[in-house]
Amino acid sequence: MATQKRLVSTAAKMASVSTAHLKTFPPREAIFKKTDIPKLAFAPETWASSQRPPPTALTAFAHRIGLSNVLTDSDTVARVCTHDSFTTLQKQRAPHQPLEQTNGHLAPLGNALLGLFATEFVHTAYPHLPTRVLKAAVSAHVGTLTCAAVAQEIGAAPLLRWHRSVVQDQVNHSDAMASVTRALTAIIYEKRSLLAARQFVHSYLLSREIDLRGMIKFRHPKTALLEMIKKLGREYPRSRLLKETGRFSNSPVFVVGIFSGVDQLGEGFGSSLKMAEFRAAEDALHRVYLTRVPNELMHLPTSTFPAGQGSIFEVEGEEQPHQPGSLGLAEVEYGRSGKSSGGYHN
Amino acid sequence: MATLFRGQLRSFPANGHAAFVPQIRKLVFECCDRWPSSENTRSYLFTRLVELARQNPHVEIVVRQRIHREPIIRGFYVNNRDKVVPLNGLSLAEINQKVHLLLDSSGAKIKHLKRRNVESTTESTRGIWSGLHADRPAL
Repeated sequence: MATQKRLVSTAAKMASVSTAHLKTFPPREAIFKKTDIPKLAFAPETWASSQRPPPTALTAFAHRIGLSNVLTDSDTVARVCTHDSFTTLQKQRAPHQPLEQTNGHLAPLGNALLGLFATEFVHTAYPHLPTRVLKAAVSAHVGTLTCAAVAQEIGAAPLLRWHRSVVQDQVNHSDAMASVTRALTAIIYEKRSLLAARQFVHSYLLSREIDLRGMIKFRHPKTALLEMIKKLGREYPRSRLLKETGRFSNSPVFVVGIFSGVDQLGEGFGSSLKMAEFRAAEDALHRVYLTRVPNELMHLPTSTFPAGQGSIFEVEGEEQPHQPGSLGLAEVEYGRSGKSSGGYHN
Repeated sequence: MATLFRGQLRSFPANGHAAFVPQIRKLVFECCDRWPSSENTRSYLFTRLVELARQNPHVEIVVRQRIHREPIIRGFYVNNRDKVVPLNGLSLAEINQKVHLLLDSSGAKIKHLKRRNVESTTESTRGIWSGLHADRPAL
């Protein structure tokens, strides 16, 4: 029973190759011919992992992501789904055959585009977000893990060709999968335009959900709030106990509000007065940092580029007028001696 | 205070919010070319398969031989799961129903309809009731 299970799991892990589209099967090198000069033994796993996926799978992939007009032939799709590390495998296994095209040039271009679109989106949507949180949000939206997850969810996993190098430059499966998403962005930019690539990124990556509140970490929120209030010229913040229950019992609950004059800035609860005040200060800062500009009012800087086919240097047309977004609060830096070791806001 | 490592940050899927990606990637028809149990499947393959493939270009359609066995269809999904549906004793219309069942499925494991807990990425719209924030009861 255990041997059966192991056999099944081992068989499942091995690459399975569809042979319907191949001209000759089994491949010539698989047939053993005794020669005077001994040759390397044929390894079916290596052969299987270096095969191109069937063209039907590649065209189905292009249709699934709605890019059948951009990725017009299966060669382009195969190129997008081949990581640069695959050349090592090809050189080892079939040094005399022409090298397959990889996404080695597309992936860095795509990465740069992803960074551009994500940064302008997050910055325009949340103008008051602290810089480190902005950077974290950008990583969450277009980082390696997200790009790898997107590639997995659009079904690029069986189409990916890569090689986990043993000696140097270890390649992760996540890195290889992420290169597919980046290469897709780059190829849309090359074949269509910057605005088309932006549309792709907005649909597939920037529409995903991130836990922005969890990325804002505080060490001294009361001091940060005080500095912000001084900057804005408001009255000195005072915390007031609004509601309480269970004092001196084993489960007290205090609700504290932080006020600037008559205006309540934030409210927090806690099982101690200090805890509730801390949360109230955090709440007040969250209400500022997480103010979001609604989608209808967002004006992205890349919208100034003319809508036409071609790269940004070649596209012809009139530039759209630039509408500057609202300037956010400049970041408050206070009493920080030396480097901070943790958190994204001190 | 836990440090955030930017390399570990990720986002959560929202398929359909902006762009919808159909979750099926491959549909494999397996039938015998002699036995009568595969008769209806064979006629489906001859009459309706090409139109199906044309209408669903996002699916890779494969036909395989499965001699001396009942006919089946296998759907392969993006989450690496597969669904197998037998076509034994079904009419053409019923086979069509099963094909569309697989095409529309997400490949996720089927959960019990009534015993599920609420799962959501957004907070509740009306908020969770708090005794300290509600009005005191008055007679």
